Amino acid sequence: MAEIKEITKKLEEIHQKIKAEIPWEPIGHTPMPDIPDLRSWDMKLLQTYKPFYAPFCDLCCFCTYGKCDLTEDRRGACGIDIGTQQARFVLLACLMGCSAHASHAGHILEVLIEKHGRDKKIDLGTFVDLEAPNIRTVLGLKPETLGDLETAIEYVYKEIAHLLDSTHMGQEGSCLDYESKSLHAGMLDHVGMEVADIAQIVGFNYPTSVANTPLVDLGWNSVDKTKPIICFIGHNPATSTVVVDYLQENNLYDKVELCGVCCTALETTRYSARAKVIGPFSRQLFFIRSGFADVIMTDEQCIRTDMPQEATKAGSALIAALDKAMYGLEDATDMNTDEIVKKMVEEKKHFAILNPKKAAEVATKVAMAIAPQRRKEWITEQEATELAKKCSLCGMCEQVCPNLFDIGRGISEVAKGNFDVIREIFNLCVGCGKCEEECPRNLPIFKIMQVGASKETWKIRAGRGPIMDTEIRTVGAPITLGTIPGVVALVGCSNFPDIRDLAEIVDEFARRKYIVVLSGCTSMAVGMWKDADGKTVYEKYPGDFDAGGVVNVGSCVANSHISGAAIKIANIFAALPLRGNYEVMADYVLNRVGAVGIAWGAYSQKAASIATGFNRLGVPVILGPHSSKYRRLYLSRKDEDEWKVMDARKRQIVETSEPSPEHLAYVCETKEKAMVMIPKLCIRKNDTPQGRAIKLNHYISLYKKYMGGDLPEDLHLYVRRDPDIPLVYKKEVRAYLQKMGWKPKEPVGLPTLIGTYPTKVPLDSVIH
Amino acid sequence: MSQLAPSLPFHRVNILTGTRTARQVEDPAEYAKQITKAQRPLLVLGPRLFQLSLGGKLVLEYALDIAKAKNIPICATDSIKSKMVELGTKPDSIYDAVEIANALKDPDWKGVRKEGNHDLVMFLGIRTDLGEQSLSVLKHFAPHLKTMTLCKYYYPHADFSLPNIRKDEQWKNFLENLIDHLKKGG
Repeated sequence: MAEIKEITKKLEEIHQKIKAEIPWEPIGHTPMPDIPDLRSWDMKLLQTYKPFYAPFCDLCCFCTYGKCDLTEDRRGACGIDIGTQQARFVLLACLMGCSAHASHAGHILEVLIEKHGRDKKIDLGTFVDLEAPNIRTVLGLKPETLGDLETAIEYVYKEIAHLLDSTHMGQEGSCLDYESKSLHAGMLDHVGMEVADIAQIVGFNYPTSVANTPLVDLGWNSVDKTKPIICFIGHNPATSTVVVDYLQENNLYDKVELCGVCCTALETTRYSARAKVIGPFSRQLFFIRSGFADVIMTDEQCIRTDMPQEATKAGSALIAALDKAMYGLEDATDMNTDEIVKKMVEEKKHFAILNPKKAAEVATKVAMAIAPQRRKEWITEQEATELAKKCSLCGMCEQVCPNLFDIGRGISEVAKGNFDVIREIFNLCVGCGKCEEECPRNLPIFKIMQVGASKETWKIRAGRGPIMDTEIRTVGAPITLGTIPGVVALVGCSNFPDIRDLAEIVDEFARRKYIVVLSGCTSMAVGMWKDADGKTVYEKYPGDFDAGGVVNVGSCVANSHISGAAIKIANIFAALPLRGNYEVMADYVLNRVGAVGIAWGAYSQKAASIATGFNRLGVPVILGPHSSKYRRLYLSRKDEDEWKVMDARKRQIVETSEPSPEHLAYVCETKEKAMVMIPKLCIRKNDTPQGRAIKLNHYISLYKKYMGGDLPEDLHLYVRRDPDIPLVYKKEVRAYLQKMGWKPKEPVGLPTLIGTYPTKVPLDSVIH
Repeated sequence: MSQLAPSLPFHRVNILTGTRTARQVEDPAEYAKQITKAQRPLLVLGPRLFQLSLGGKLVLEYALDIAKAKNIPICATDSIKSKMVELGTKPDSIYDAVEIANALKDPDWKGVRKEGNHDLVMFLGIRTDLGEQSLSVLKHFAPHLKTMTLCKYYYPHADFSLPNIRKDEQWKNFLENLIDHLKKGG
């Protein structure tokens, strides 16, 4: 009795927070879910997609009883085993990522509420009524004002604290429960990101309800080096937008160049189309060391920790503009502006300035004062050749390179006057700077690399924010039936094996009429490639969320619009209620929306939480070779596992023997392998025969193109009946199927996992 | 089996942080002995074999000679299947490194020839950081088998590894001698 009372009281509190009295939709089964509320869904996923751990370390070093050796089935002093320790590590990574976005969201919300007031209406334009699919689905709240977003972010904060608590020594003893918690953190991350980006769109008047946003300049050569240059690095636009305002108010807008590295660059171009994007994180150190930036302004997240040292070496002035990274600098927030400028110009001091208006004024004045005295030129080939001659070919640079390149060979070729190898290496460089750190002769390797760096200027489409409801109405049916073969979302950082990989992937799938969606550093890297006609993918393909479109949603926090689009398909197209109804949405996405994420160059822990959030929502993710270093994949074993689903029309559980999607988190060693996995992971049990034939056509043709002339080894698993076979390969596939002893099987009318595991969700909930 | 003083791996992203590290083997006869002793060895071949050659001969060809010498089944990635077929050998199974590691973890898995799980798994041609991760999976979660690497770098998470070999000639000699020993019966 007491328990019922308590539950009721808790529910009452939730209903109050989500304004349950406003009846826009019935409230689902899990409004504002706690950790255990979606555990059954997670366990169902983990039953098929089992965690696969690759420990970096044999030990646990987390407490004073350690270090504990966890090899050969040993348990640590607290009782933990190696699998659970890995799972704990993954949860910590997801929490770092999730809290970075949540904290960004909380900060920007506070700034914008101060500017516009708590009652500022959320209006995302004529074509976006379903403004917050993640918040509506997870919390059950329809946010109408900036103030409503506070409820969402406070919920995220509370859950993060619970999750972090579980990583304390002792306590959780199951890797599966840790995975359930990681999935919870990933889901929260998408809520936090959505809060941030909605607030930014509303508060900064970013583009929304429009597909073809402006094309903006990309690349270091797009910056006018004759002007003072301010470079923003990080993620949070709280400062860069104020600098834009300051320049406009003081008639300096065309006298100072604004540019950025990483997501702040994307944010700033959503605010000012005059700002330039230098490039992704992997070009950060390279650009800083070029010395082109007169003033560097850092905010938060993906910024180097040695920024003051690097700025000093490059002769740039540094302002740390947010409290998350103050680098031990003197806090000049309360200091007189002219005094700060004087010290920065004359004494070359760096400062933390946490008042954006003051930081903007100082940055502008310092940039204008020091720019005329600074040399901003690339190294000449002759200078590079002279420097390279000092290389002794000791090989240390190759040994420390995380991308395993033979950098020394490139340098030694420069010494001979051959710049081709260094040009090639530059395209493979992830920009960590370890090579230079290790060089016993202190060669300025990044400086030498300048001769290999492309001096081209490219174009990137400014981030467009949410996918429009009208677009979802158009593509909902073709996506779920399979006639649009899939949605391919390329997200995350730039720790790629080769910066050109992603543009080639985008080009391949846009040409094949998949919908390609991009965000963050990936969206920048994709723009740094031109086809034979000199066009980037942004110039070559339209920005619509439709077959053959290439959509840049924006910065990292705009990833929430990609998960949001999947939810919108379930809600707008399939008319399934989403309010506090996460399990139903995720089940729909897993079984019927042919979407796949590609985190080809994950570096930041945020990539781990973003990907894990997609996984809980039923979207499989492909990782590049570096991205798997977060130590956990979710893999099935297609030949051994059961592939049972409920046929909701017949109300029967059926064994489909069809591994779709085959994995939930998978690593590909090469771009070629990714080209083949993408179409396969877009296959869903819901595909119509026509849709399946289209998907298999791409799977087969890409397999033949990238893997040699044969048919895929597992093709028989994906052919249900003869009409599924693509016309062009009919004869060849029929012969193959006969050889494999293939038997036709009935497609499932309405596939769902609901009804196949213990859940509060009734089967009727998924029938629309 | 393991040794206490570990060598440093060539690529420092693979530095071991732990207690159990691979036994470094320089003598091809010892490798041949371990392979011959195994009941159901398996050779896992990765996509880098496409690019690597020694003295004008693809490293893939050395791998196929090793397999032929002892009728060792081959698990290859999709990407090198067509080259293998061109060289006259069809792989026994097609898996990526993580997929084969995932199957090998299961002691009840029937193996690529359905004769039972393997007791010695040899790796060649996978990029070192990804290969090291697969070896770590097997080190921790597949106590029922041993792992061996044939690449020219030291892999701490394997059971048996070659040392870091600076000169390709030395690696070529090792592989040729290994093939000879295997042909002679190990």
